Amino acid sequence: MDFTLSKEHEMARSLFREFAEKEVKPLAIEVDETEEFPKETVAKMAKAGFMGIPIPKEYGGQGCDVLTYAICVEELAKVCGTTAVIVSAHTSLCCDPILTYGTEEQKQKYLPDLASGKKIGAFGLTEPGAGTDAQGQQTKAVLEGDEWVLNGSKIFITNGKEADVYVIFAITGMIEKRGRMTKEISAFIVEKGTPGFTFGTKEKKMGIRGSSTYELIFTDCRIPKENMLGQQGKGFGIAMHTLDGGRIGIAAQALGIGEGALDRTIAYVQERKQFGRAIGAFQNTQFQLADMATKAQAAQYMVYKAACTKDQYTKDHKTSYNVEAAMAKLYAAEMAMEVTTKAVQLHGGYGYTREYEVERMMRDAKITEIYEGTSEVQRMVISANLLK
Amino acid sequence: MNLEEYKGVFVFAQQVDNKVSGIALELIGEGKRLAEKLSTEVTAVLVGSGVKDLADELAAYGADKVIVVDDPELKEYRTEPYAHALASVIDKYKPEILLVGATAIGRDLGPRVSARVHTGLTADCTSLEIGDFPINPIPGKEQKHNQLLMTRPAFGGNTIATIACPDFRPQMATVRPGVMQKLEKKEGAKAVVEEFNPGFTPDSKYVEIVEIVKNITDTVDIMDAKILVSGGRGVGSPENFKLLDDLAEAIGGTVSCSRAVVDAGWKSKDLQVGQTGKTVRPSVYFAIGISGAIQHLAGMEESDIIVAINKDETAPIFDVADYGVVGDLNKIVPMLTEQIKAAVANK
Ligand SMILES: Cc1cc2nc3c(=O)[nH]c(=O)nc-3n(C[C@H](O)[C@H](O)[C@H](O)COP(=O)(O)OP(=O)(O)OC[C@H]3O[C@@H](n4cnc5c(N)ncnc54)[C@H](O)[C@@H]3O)c2cc1C
Ligand SMILES: Cc1cc2nc3c(=O)[nH]c(=O)nc-3n(C[C@H](O)[C@H](O)[C@H](O)COP(=O)(O)OP(=O)(O)OC[C@H]3O[C@@H](n4cnc5c(N)ncnc54)[C@H](O)[C@@H]3O)c2cc1C
Repeated sequence: MDFTLSKEHEMARSLFREFAEKEVKPLAIEVDETEEFPKETVAKMAKAGFMGIPIPKEYGGQGCDVLTYAICVEELAKVCGTTAVIVSAHTSLCCDPILTYGTEEQKQKYLPDLASGKKIGAFGLTEPGAGTDAQGQQTKAVLEGDEWVLNGSKIFITNGKEADVYVIFAITGMIEKRGRMTKEISAFIVEKGTPGFTFGTKEKKMGIRGSSTYELIFTDCRIPKENMLGQQGKGFGIAMHTLDGGRIGIAAQALGIGEGALDRTIAYVQERKQFGRAIGAFQNTQFQLADMATKAQAAQYMVYKAACTKDQYTKDHKTSYNVEAAMAKLYAAEMAMEVTTKAVQLHGGYGYTREYEVERMMRDAKITEIYEGTSEVQRMVISANLLK
Repeated sequence: MNLEEYKGVFVFAQQVDNKVSGIALELIGEGKRLAEKLSTEVTAVLVGSGVKDLADELAAYGADKVIVVDDPELKEYRTEPYAHALASVIDKYKPEILLVGATAIGRDLGPRVSARVHTGLTADCTSLEIGDFPINPIPGKEQKHNQLLMTRPAFGGNTIATIACPDFRPQMATVRPGVMQKLEKKEGAKAVVEEFNPGFTPDSKYVEIVEIVKNITDTVDIMDAKILVSGGRGVGSPENFKLLDDLAEAIGGTVSCSRAVVDAGWKSKDLQVGQTGKTVRPSVYFAIGISGAIQHLAGMEESDIIVAINKDETAPIFDVADYGVVGDLNKIVPMLTEQIKAAVANK
């Protein structure tokens, strides 16, 4: 067992960090305040190759491992939770299922543009009535001749409206399962601009405010038959497996948010003086910091382990990484919430203002306990494995 | 109080502008049913000025007897003279049961009268029966027979209460309009008409009516509307809401909508029904082209009657709908409007 990162990973990290400090950090406040999608930053990330880190070179990606990708998301999140989730949703939730389940034609058609960042990806599973219970779908796809006709809507879709390629889930029929009729769900690739595919409202959120979260609407939206992703009726499995991977991205985002808040707090308590001393001289401050750092470190190992296990899976499909991913996301998200909350506290009244940024991190952290499966869902995944 | 003295089912035959209100006929129909169980008659109490001619209409719908209190002081509804009229009728004729419509007038009048004659009143009943009280015998407690069992939703409809008034007479209830059935009209039927005037002496308690305004307000708060015609994304365009406007006009309803409609900019936010919009509880809610997302249902599932029109038979709205039509709203809504117009015209 070796706990040091390889030279390549270290180099990648310093590249990501430099980019984050130079390109992302200066805009973070503005992105939050204006709630605007950072288009230019994304274009720059595309140029730098951030949009296709774990995609094989043959499909136009960087051909790096999942760990490198996780480090990228982590470094971005240290300065801007919004920017981190744009990369994570694009990579884990759109590129990854196409890479895993796509036909050779689909991969050739979609991955190069996605991996280069020329196009952005999104993932549409959630509906007003189907959140944690993803089986509760209402969106339908009916085969008419050579086309699938989609009807329904999706809600809370990250990168919505900004994305060009959407992996969408819909009911394609009813099947008998253990004597009961259940919905047969299938996955599809839908392109922006397809007639009948429009956008509803942009949600006004507490945090990650620059990430665009939209409703997707399908009204007699016709897509070619060959845009089905994976086999008919395998959509639920595809969604679940995709989310297993996505959780590593969100875990990395949470990790970054927590670490970013910790970094700022360490600097702050050394500068701020009360009672003639830096507040960092008070033992309460010191112990808080110790707890924060310990939890962040624990989270980091968990996230990295999940990433490495997924890399293992890429080589040998017998390895599973869903429990590692669930544990990493659960722990990292709760760490992020706790650490950012403490960071605000240690900043005192200043921490409550929007100038000091830890409040934004606290707002951003909360969502990591919610999306891509709530913390409760992660506990379900983990305990199911313990008791199987 | 000698309970034995009190006999017969009485209904307050509400009239406005010398036209019998629909609720009066519904109450006669229901009163007839109750009277039969008690082997007695139903008497309508007609209060107003120059209203005697209306007695035949009440007879045609089943009133055996009509007591007319006719006096210029009773031209328009006012609490004091009407309460005096009705309380005097009770004192003189001693009815066993007295039903009043739970209209704006009836809700004002009922409690005044019950307090004046010192008896019990159950408000806004949706079902009435004759039966034993307590419903199940309780050891050591007398079970009285032939009591009026008055059932009404309580606590915002979360609970159903059945209430009796065993020790005082008359047993009074206000009854929700639209729940009871009127009888088939029998042309030429005549009732025994009896005039009674307790005398009216205007005093300071007599309200002075300055002006009566009868216009249809355009901007009804959807939370107050009795009938809501609600449209969703399925309506398709703001122009197409015309279909719903027509239906609303025909049925006397108000148009509301889902969030999808507000988001699309077709309607203003104050018409939005749902978790982040308004919570409504009309008597009838038409959900037209609305899928029935939980955020929408949360705002309207307490409606008394929900009618859904949707082309998708698996839409979740059908899980809460009392009546549903699977089909294209563009065809169904105009047909429905026509039918309602025809029904209103024939009334
Ligand atoms: C929204 C808002 C409204 C406010 N309204 C009012 C108001 O109406 N009236 C008013 O007078 N003030 C008000 N304040 C100011 C508020 O009372 C102070 O911000 C608060 O008392 C903390 O002071 P500080 O900001 O200087 O933080 P600091 O004193 O710098 O404290 C920073 C951190 O160090 C910790 N710390 C400080 N000293 C010690 C110690 N000896 N031992 C251990 N830990 C320590 C603190 O607990 C905190 O975690 C308001 C502030 C805000 C943000
Ligand atoms: C934070 C938040 C808060 C929300 N709050 C609310 C709220 O307060 N109120 C609310 O309503 N929603 C709310 N929503 C939105 C909710 O989740 C749904 O998206 C919304 O209710 C859907 O509106 P709809 O039923 O009109 O549209 P859709 O779900 O798109 O349904 C349209 C329906 O019309 C049918 N249809 C289409 N064409 C025809 C036709 N020709 N004839 C008949 N039927 C047809 C379709 O079959 C479909 O069932 C909220 C969402 C969020 C995220």
